[in-house]
Amino acid sequence: MQNEGTSKPQKQKTSKAERRAIQEAQRAAKAAAKEAGGVKPSASSGGAVPALKQGKVAKPSSQRKDGPQVTAPVTSSEKKVVDRLPEKDRKKDVPHPRMQFDDKHRVEKAKRRAVVNQSEARSRVELFRHLPQYIRGTQLPDLESKFFQLDPIHPSVYKVGLQYLSGDISGGNARCIAMLLAFKEAIKDYSTPPEKALVRDLTAKIGSYVSFFIECRPLSISMGNAIKFLKSRIAKLPHTLSESEAKSSLQSDIDRFINEKIVIADKVIVRHAVTKIRDGDVLLTYGSSSVVEMIFLYALELGKHFRVVVVDSRPKLDGQALLCRLVAKGLNCTYTHINAISYIMHEVTRVFLGASSVLSNGTVYSRVGTACVAMAAHAFQVPVLVCCEAYKFHERVQLDSICSNELGDPDVISKVPGWKDLNHLDNWADNENLQLLNLTYDATPSDYVSMIITDYGMLPPTSVPVLVREYRREHLWI
Amino acid sequence: MPDVQALVNDFVLKLKRRKIEGSHASARHTAELLRSVISQQRMPHTNQAGALIDAVKAVGEQLIAANPVELAVGNIVRRVLHIIREEDLSSTATAIEGLGLSAGSDDDDEGQHVDHPALSAAALAAAARSTLRAPSLQTLLEDIPRSAVTPQPPSSGGDSEGKSKSADKNLRSRKLKHDVIEAINELIQDIDTCHEQVSEQAVEHIHQNEVILTFGRSRTVKEFLCAAKEKNRSFRVFVAEGAPRYQGHVLAKELVGKGIQTTVITDSAVFAMISRVNMVIVGAHAIMANGGVIAPVGINMVALAAQRHAVPFVVVAGSHKLCPLYPHNPEVLLNDLKSPSDLLDFGEFSDCMDFGSHGGSPLLHVVNPAFDYVPPKLVSLFITDTGGHNPSYVYRLIADYYSADDLVVKRRSTS
Repeated sequence: MQNEGTSKPQKQKTSKAERRAIQEAQRAAKAAAKEAGGVKPSASSGGAVPALKQGKVAKPSSQRKDGPQVTAPVTSSEKKVVDRLPEKDRKKDVPHPRMQFDDKHRVEKAKRRAVVNQSEARSRVELFRHLPQYIRGTQLPDLESKFFQLDPIHPSVYKVGLQYLSGDISGGNARCIAMLLAFKEAIKDYSTPPEKALVRDLTAKIGSYVSFFIECRPLSISMGNAIKFLKSRIAKLPHTLSESEAKSSLQSDIDRFINEKIVIADKVIVRHAVTKIRDGDVLLTYGSSSVVEMIFLYALELGKHFRVVVVDSRPKLDGQALLCRLVAKGLNCTYTHINAISYIMHEVTRVFLGASSVLSNGTVYSRVGTACVAMAAHAFQVPVLVCCEAYKFHERVQLDSICSNELGDPDVISKVPGWKDLNHLDNWADNENLQLLNLTYDATPSDYVSMIITDYGMLPPTSVPVLVREYRREHLWI
Repeated sequence: MPDVQALVNDFVLKLKRRKIEGSHASARHTAELLRSVISQQRMPHTNQAGALIDAVKAVGEQLIAANPVELAVGNIVRRVLHIIREEDLSSTATAIEGLGLSAGSDDDDEGQHVDHPALSAAALAAAARSTLRAPSLQTLLEDIPRSAVTPQPPSSGGDSEGKSKSADKNLRSRKLKHDVIEAINELIQDIDTCHEQVSEQAVEHIHQNEVILTFGRSRTVKEFLCAAKEKNRSFRVFVAEGAPRYQGHVLAKELVGKGIQTTVITDSAVFAMISRVNMVIVGAHAIMANGGVIAPVGINMVALAAQRHAVPFVVVAGSHKLCPLYPHNPEVLLNDLKSPSDLLDFGEFSDCMDFGSHGGSPLLHVVNPAFDYVPPKLVSLFITDTGGHNPSYVYRLIADYYSADDLVVKRRSTS
């Protein structure tokens, strides 16, 4: 912070010189790769364009259907590849606004390019017009019929996309790992077409795969960060590598990412978290989080005596799967539904929650209902510990659960499994006054969270933007 | 008498088996049953009120013990007891006023002595009561001419006095029963019309373009919202489905039938949606003496969320739900734990929940409470058929409807 004022004029001088150098390099690259068709020049200036620009472009990939072909005009912030971002670029580092689905023009454009035929739902809740909502039930058979015709999509990517669509894979870590492994397969089978540069073409291909995934199910924040990482690695490939070397380097990068950022990070989190479990504790968890399950099982292995309360809610009821696994290991469990948290919170000593992401203002973005559990715990003065790997952090900020969310299938609300006579809401779509709303995520305010346990240690929620800023470019993704 | 006992037994059985659900139905049945009990009660010559009170207490004790969580039953029993006491007091008060002047003029008549002790107790009570009542100019001015003008039968002398005294007493006893039964009829009518009276206040609280959140299903809330809709207020309603009974679905269907824009959300989405809501309106199972609310499970979560977002939390309830008891440990003592089959399919988990294996302590417990307690500080307003009240005012309402002697409904053992 101190060298800002003194170094500002110097930085600006070098930036001009840098810009000139970049422009010349660009011209040379253009001349070398003038055959690159179908790729817009704005996005791909060869290897000279630093990773951060690609990073900025890829940032909004979580909700955009245009892939890496960025339409936002690039500002004059092209820099050489530097380790530390100069001031100017850092200020323009505001996350790009995501695609808003109440903009008809953009929606039409995206539809034309779509692989999955989606028809928008008829009755939509007004408050959520900016989020996509499609009629379920028609996409899966449609995609299955197209299986052998979709050349541009690699089969393993297709398979993972179908698994997302049907809900077979759920959970931030699982989805991210599945996606990265699919990309690894795709890269293994990839071969550069003649007269095209590996970097640009592979980036475009990855972009199209990402668009396909978004059509199946909107990206989670963990997936978005992983995609950013992959694209930055692709962009940073030295030109001297041959194709097979480049491919194997990328595959090993992916392996390293999965290993370091997910597998080992989980182990570190578990080690930290079990220090917070004492004998005689009653621990509460909500829904099904992979990290929290690992924590409980590890604490059991260490021989601690504790009880677990699993709180569950409709419509996913994923707590039941967690309950199955915990009881199978011999853990003493109590199961209840989210309405009864006031009743059960009297006995609870600690609350462990998982997260889909932690945003820069300390808000925890996770499965809908987590905010209610954290609120009840706060009201009864029970500490809330959120366990989240550092790669899931994001520099976005969010105040409530409405501005950004995922709308699930509304039919699931009207049908309650096991209650055949509960048919009050059949044919709900016919009635224009009635809407069903199935939210997937919600935002827990940071003052309800006592501590966030990450692989970088145990921090308060206010330290998340520090982590995002300091470790993002270098350590977080490498 | 025997058929009254049969009715009582029948009702007790229904309460025990939870065949009667809902405070409205329970309250109505209780009131009708007590009316039958009173009308068939034989009245002794002295202390009719005491006899009635004893009879009602005997029946009431059985009813309350059958389902202690259904507080409306106890409320109505205590209301009836209070009615009996009030009617008794008011009838002896009028009798005192009439007899008061004759007591002075007939001092020499011997036949009065038997009645004096009873009268004096009643007189004391009446006197105490009239001093408690704030004296107004009207009562002061009215009292004097009344006692001066009305010539009472006892002022005619001699034997006819004694006869007219007993005739008077018979009149009084029949009158007491009659008054009590009339008051109970009024009570039943109040219970029936409580929804209309609450709904009349809907227009004051719901304006245009409001967004209202409600939870589960309450008949009072439904009528409240429909009344506002009839006055052409446009508003939207978010209904939380209210697992595990899913009554929210039923309410949504009913509201949509009346043309109200409704959205059904899951209970877990309450915190997410409440930031866009103007008001939360819910019903209650019972309102306790401290202003706390016993409500269907999940409403405490809604109340906490409403407090966090500074959204007014309004509870609508009929006055038969007002309970004079203070909630001690309400989560345990005033709660019903229901079957786990609502939450878990028995197929997978039955061996874990088996109390027979694992040496009596199974690995898995399923908790399914039926009620929630909302502390008074989370409630912004109570709307009852007597108007809108603060939680801190509830104790005064209770003083109007109940007597302090009736808090514990136990038949005094004859000693």
